[in-house]
Amino acid sequence: MVWIEKQRNILDFALSSLFRRWGKNLALIIVYTIIVFVLASIFFLTHSIKKEATIVLQGSPEIVVQRIVAGRHDLVPEGHSDQLRKIPGVLEVKGRLWGYYFDPATGANYTMVVTDASREKNGTITIGAGVARVAGVQKEDTIPFKSSGGTYTTLEVADIFPHQSELISSDLIEISEEDFRKLFSIPNGSYTDLTLRVRNKNELNVVADKIKRYLPDTRPILREEILRTYEAIFDWRGGLLVVILTGAILAFAIFAWDKASSLSFEEKKEIGILKAVGWETSEVIIMKSWEGITVSLTSFLLGIMCAYVHVFFGSFFLFTPVLKGWSVLYPHFKLIPFVDPYQVSALFFLTVAPYTAATIIPSWRAATIEPDSVMRL
Amino acid sequence: MIELHHVTKIFNKGNANEFCAVDDVSLVIDPLVITVLKGPSGSGKTTVLSIIGAMTKPTEGRVYIHSREITSLPERFLTEIRRKTFGFIFQQFNLIKGITALENIMIPAYPTGEKYSFLKKRAMDLLDLLSLSGKATSKIEWLSGGEAQRVAIARALINNPEVVIADEPTAHLDTRLSREFIEVMAVLKNEGRTILIASHDPIIYSSPVVQRVVELRDGRAISEDHRS
Repeated sequence: MVWIEKQRNILDFALSSLFRRWGKNLALIIVYTIIVFVLASIFFLTHSIKKEATIVLQGSPEIVVQRIVAGRHDLVPEGHSDQLRKIPGVLEVKGRLWGYYFDPATGANYTMVVTDASREKNGTITIGAGVARVAGVQKEDTIPFKSSGGTYTTLEVADIFPHQSELISSDLIEISEEDFRKLFSIPNGSYTDLTLRVRNKNELNVVADKIKRYLPDTRPILREEILRTYEAIFDWRGGLLVVILTGAILAFAIFAWDKASSLSFEEKKEIGILKAVGWETSEVIIMKSWEGITVSLTSFLLGIMCAYVHVFFGSFFLFTPVLKGWSVLYPHFKLIPFVDPYQVSALFFLTVAPYTAATIIPSWRAATIEPDSVMRL
Repeated sequence: MIELHHVTKIFNKGNANEFCAVDDVSLVIDPLVITVLKGPSGSGKTTVLSIIGAMTKPTEGRVYIHSREITSLPERFLTEIRRKTFGFIFQQFNLIKGITALENIMIPAYPTGEKYSFLKKRAMDLLDLLSLSGKATSKIEWLSGGEAQRVAIARALINNPEVVIADEPTAHLDTRLSREFIEVMAVLKNEGRTILIASHDPIIYSSPVVQRVVELRDGRAISEDHRS
């Protein structure tokens, strides 16, 4: 009980000391919070996008086979499907039709895809919320599309994807097979690529090897490879941002070190007074630790909270161009909050711990002076 | 009772700027009396007070408080003695600016772990005793010299010390405030405390309430004047 009261009294005095030097401490908290906010935003965003991509890709095919002609992605003839079906372990082979449509009116690229649900629905499309926003259309409106032959095809918006799926559906247009082939002049029996389902997941690499052997003009892409690419891209982008911000982080480190590690004459005198009136060196250090912890923990929590709101509620508007890539049609989506405890603890130990240590060392030096020095000031 | 046996204090020993502030002083401070150490600047008064108040250790010699030798004790024990036995009034008052008079008074008692509400009540009682209750929430920098000094006295009394040590307490006070100060010391003595003052102010060392004057010069005790 005495111990708790003692800590309470010392904490009370530490807070009072912080308020007395409010100008210095407020400046420190603001700069400190901004740095934590920026770093935490990057960590939260890259982690959540990677996590979300992983979840999204769970439903994607295990292997995608593309045809390559002169190093370029080309249409796959139906005959390739029959060859793939002969590979032992392959459960199902499906031809996919998808592509990009550039809309000169809005300057946006749409992703057009034929799905099982849309395959037969000629004359209608289902569009992502981003497309609806950019094109300014609603359900039952029509959108004209210019075909590769120069003629226009008008399709009716049958439905709009819900906002919840905007990360993957923002720029998406689901179209019927007939309309798709007409729009891009793709002959019957040709597909953009082929998707494969495999019976034994452990044999994916073996199947991929066989595909390369049987069909040398194709390249198999494994779902794991796509995941790795996603991770690499977002790690790289996050890293790039950290590198860009390194200057700011270093500037903060110098600023914080200077503010935290140097004691003013007044502060040194105060420590002398405390010692002279009966405070132990350890009690002075506890008091200074409370000051350091209060500043750093307040900034850390503020920074983390602001980053959380910025990333998960504010659609990370500050970092959109760097981390999501450039596009006219940004999906307006809310990420599912995924916070990596390891990253948060790493950030905690990289910010709170060094700052607190930086405040304690000079205080410890000042507190080990003989208390009679205050009588000679 | 406080005893000094052949106490010497040398600053910067072994260096070119070595300086002997106190030279072989032996002294007994009787309990429940007002003792004044008098002497010019540089005579060693403040250093003797620091040694008695466990703020610094002598280079040579021994110090006893109630027959307990304290010179060889580690810092932690000296702090304990400083906190419980002595109340200090400094020449510049050494109050902390930016906080209230009440908070300043409570500072020495924070590490004792006393409940904040009790502590505050005792501090308020002391302010009341020194006719300063109206200034409890005033910041130190708003107080006059006399008020600041009374706050310093209250702070020295917050841990209910046996001994009050004052170093040149009237150096920045006019005659009226200096007389008021020595009257307050007389009250504290009558309450059962030992008062030890270092001063070269005649208002202090000539005051009828002072029972003993020790004169220091060049770090040595050169004379003593015991009064009834």
